[in-house]
Amino acid sequence: MINFKINGISLEANKGETILTAARRNDIYIPTMCYISKTTPCGSCRMCVVEVQGVDGFILSCNTPAVEGAEITTNSVALENERVNIMKLYDVNHPLECGVCDKSGECDLQNKTLEFNIEKQNFSTRDISRDRQNWGLINYNPSLCILCEKCVHVCNENIGDDAIEIKVGGYSSIIVPKDADYLDCTFCGECIAVCPVGALVSSDFEYSANAWELSRVPATCAHCSAGCPLEYETKHTGVNGMDEIYRVKNNFEFSSLCGAGRFGYDFDNSAPKNSDAFDKAISSIKNAEAIRFSSIITNEEAHILELIKDRLGIKLFNDDARKFAEFMKAYSSVSGKLHHSGSLEAIKQADAAIIIGSRIATDNPGVRYALTTAARHNGAKIVYAHPMEDVLMQNVITQFMKYEVGTEEGVMAVLAHAILADADLDESEKAFFDDLDLGYIYAETNIGDEELEDMMKSFARSKNRVLIIGNDVIAHECSANIAKLAALIEKYSNFCVVIVPREINTLGVSLINTLDKDEDLENVVGYNANGSFVISSLEGSDLAVPALNQQEGSVVNIDNRVLPTNVALKFNGYTLNNIANALGIKKDNTIDYTKELNQDTGFKSVLFDDLENYLAKMGEDIRGYILDEVVCEANGKLDKLDDLPEYNGTIVYHCDPVLQFNAHTNETKQLEKDNFLRGSAQFCVAARISDGDMIELSFGNIKIQREFKLDSELKGTIALNPTYDIGIDANRYRFDKSKIVRVVQ
Amino acid sequence: MKNEQFNDRNISNDYFKVDIADYPTTDWGKFKCALDRTFKLELLVGLWVVLREMFKFNTHTVKYPEEKMPIGPRYRAVHEMKRLWESDTERCIGCGLCEKICISNCIRIDTKIDENSRKEVSEYSINLGRCIFCGYCAEVCPELAIVHGGEYENASDQREHFVMYEDMLTPLDKMKAGTQSEFEGFGAITPHEEERVKKTPLAY
Repeated sequence: MINFKINGISLEANKGETILTAARRNDIYIPTMCYISKTTPCGSCRMCVVEVQGVDGFILSCNTPAVEGAEITTNSVALENERVNIMKLYDVNHPLECGVCDKSGECDLQNKTLEFNIEKQNFSTRDISRDRQNWGLINYNPSLCILCEKCVHVCNENIGDDAIEIKVGGYSSIIVPKDADYLDCTFCGECIAVCPVGALVSSDFEYSANAWELSRVPATCAHCSAGCPLEYETKHTGVNGMDEIYRVKNNFEFSSLCGAGRFGYDFDNSAPKNSDAFDKAISSIKNAEAIRFSSIITNEEAHILELIKDRLGIKLFNDDARKFAEFMKAYSSVSGKLHHSGSLEAIKQADAAIIIGSRIATDNPGVRYALTTAARHNGAKIVYAHPMEDVLMQNVITQFMKYEVGTEEGVMAVLAHAILADADLDESEKAFFDDLDLGYIYAETNIGDEELEDMMKSFARSKNRVLIIGNDVIAHECSANIAKLAALIEKYSNFCVVIVPREINTLGVSLINTLDKDEDLENVVGYNANGSFVISSLEGSDLAVPALNQQEGSVVNIDNRVLPTNVALKFNGYTLNNIANALGIKKDNTIDYTKELNQDTGFKSVLFDDLENYLAKMGEDIRGYILDEVVCEANGKLDKLDDLPEYNGTIVYHCDPVLQFNAHTNETKQLEKDNFLRGSAQFCVAARISDGDMIELSFGNIKIQREFKLDSELKGTIALNPTYDIGIDANRYRFDKSKIVRVVQ
Repeated sequence: MKNEQFNDRNISNDYFKVDIADYPTTDWGKFKCALDRTFKLELLVGLWVVLREMFKFNTHTVKYPEEKMPIGPRYRAVHEMKRLWESDTERCIGCGLCEKICISNCIRIDTKIDENSRKEVSEYSINLGRCIFCGYCAEVCPELAIVHGGEYENASDQREHFVMYEDMLTPLDKMKAGTQSEFEGFGAITPHEEERVKKTPLAY
């Protein structure tokens, strides 16, 4: 700890902590314009200057660590003058359109101008004409831009798109798309969030409402398992309209949000109440042999489904959560703990990471942003093991480890072998590694000995290591053995493991429900899933139920954190709880079940209303609670490696495009619905098709028609097949041997 | 300094005391009073005065509707939407403050971006059936776009029929003629009010 003084007040700072963060932690105000907590300080605004006794000139508090015994002043007359002059310069020719500006008072520039009492413009320059630019979902107005660089920094350091930069030109400097005429990025919209003025705005939201007209609803994003915190902002539409979500905001100071969260908010269900359908639903459930449901539901709903199962003695199908539960069961049998040890925060803090079995940038942007942060801030070495390269991860990863499709088990085995070379393994584990036919595995997986050596060399000095395991592995035939290998790595090395669940509440459902293996039965009621009677929040259902932004309840995200989410929009109809009540499982509200969630798997007996949903002053995540650690028996044994499978011919990888995740994101207005089969030039040759062809794709017993698109960013003979629009069996390994036939129109 | 001028609270020498008898207190007095009131037809005395004055055509009241009192600028009748003198476009910038401040929740406004990338008010409605004419909307408006007019002659079976947005907006021909009336500001007084102000009678 370092002891120093600010304005005569004694403070303590951690080693390496900057003066600004120490001051903020102790509620001492230092004005800033360009500082944003989640990026490295860029020092472009120079507002945060302070005086240090015995040091000539001003010191930037944002990037200067506190030193022992320093005496710092934050508010002398000289500093005040300096700041006033900076503000005067910021205000030069700034358009006086605050009345119509989209920022509508939530403006840093306006706040500081008033704070420093800048009443007139003392400096002047000839104003120049700057055109507004439309960048798709984002609009940029250069006349309002104050060039604080926040957008550029988050884009590079947190998101990893690195899509915008400053075109330097003195007074005529502007933000431009990097090396391109148009903005080519993943449209996370984080630049909009951090913009302190109204220069970068959502093109859909622009001029449609003001900050003071919108009511904020704190919630949790429903699209992927990262469970990012966000706020839905709602307002009535038009003169007689109902409430609608106008935009989504996040606490950009500490957390990031992807474009699906930010722009894909209108997946609410506005179907009218239909009591006939409700009666039908009740009788269908009574007659049903099983309920099939998706993991895009709350813990409370999952609990109700479990109660219905108990009461009616029917089966519950959810292959996504079942596969995850099986994987976790195998993992626990070696690690001795029910939950994985890592979290997004652990990834952010990591200086070494291996990611296997996931196209993570589109599977879970939260993990991608955490990896980007780790790479930029800690110089983390990131090994990306996957059969396909991903352009989005290109400037984040340090080593791409390409393996053959289907050989994940072998890859994990050699990874474990390399990582645990010096570990103190027990007899059977040692025997497993001794038994490995490394030559065969290297040949089949296509991973070279030297690649592993390089990896271990680059990891040599790292302290915080993370192993991230994706969905290809969970749905893999040999997932149990892979899970055990992952647990082994965690047990005997300093790696922590993050297993990426597929949907928002896959983890929660896997802990709450006892699931049965999906069978093709005749009478299956689907709850947000297929069935002979469909109860769903999506269009075309037999009984409409509220979507996740119309419900209160909790979900469990990748951090093993139970997160509350609230009702952003009203739903006028029936919920699962109404159905349960009709079946004799009585409770007033769905959230009455929150305190009754399965405590054997780590849930706490906490009332829903006691769950917090915000980030604290210094960004501490105090949303909900973290599942209690549950110790379980560690008696799992590794199975001997079988022959590794071979995948030849035209292979498709079931993988959603950027910002699409599931049928809910497919319903949203702003998100691009790109449903092409994308493949490389090499794939074209192998499948004998060309760009723009209509093709019929068949895999397993599924046949679909898609347009093929040649993607110059892809390599190899694997094509990407989106699943958000067709829905895909979660049980299915994500790489599929396929047959592709050109359709003649 | 002498206080005489302050102590004299009689504002005019024209004031005089009316000779009114006290109420009777004895039973006989009360009985006589009742008899007088019943049979002396004093009622007709009053009626005669009215009739007499009516034919003299010397009325002191305003002869509405031929004659109307000037309305004070602070009078809060049905709202008006003003236009900019420079460009004749609407003054309203769609900030939505009137909607926010409205305590009876009767204003609804919708804005959008127009083809010139400017903010456009696409819908604006005041439900006069709910409006309590408190004047907060006019007070909060940063552009003096919404003001209360002086038009108090509205008749309809529903108050919300009083006015449409198009009627509230200053007509373009009026703008061309330069006759848009301007809100004179809070605290402005009624025209010719100074001449009409008399010394307040303070004797009580």
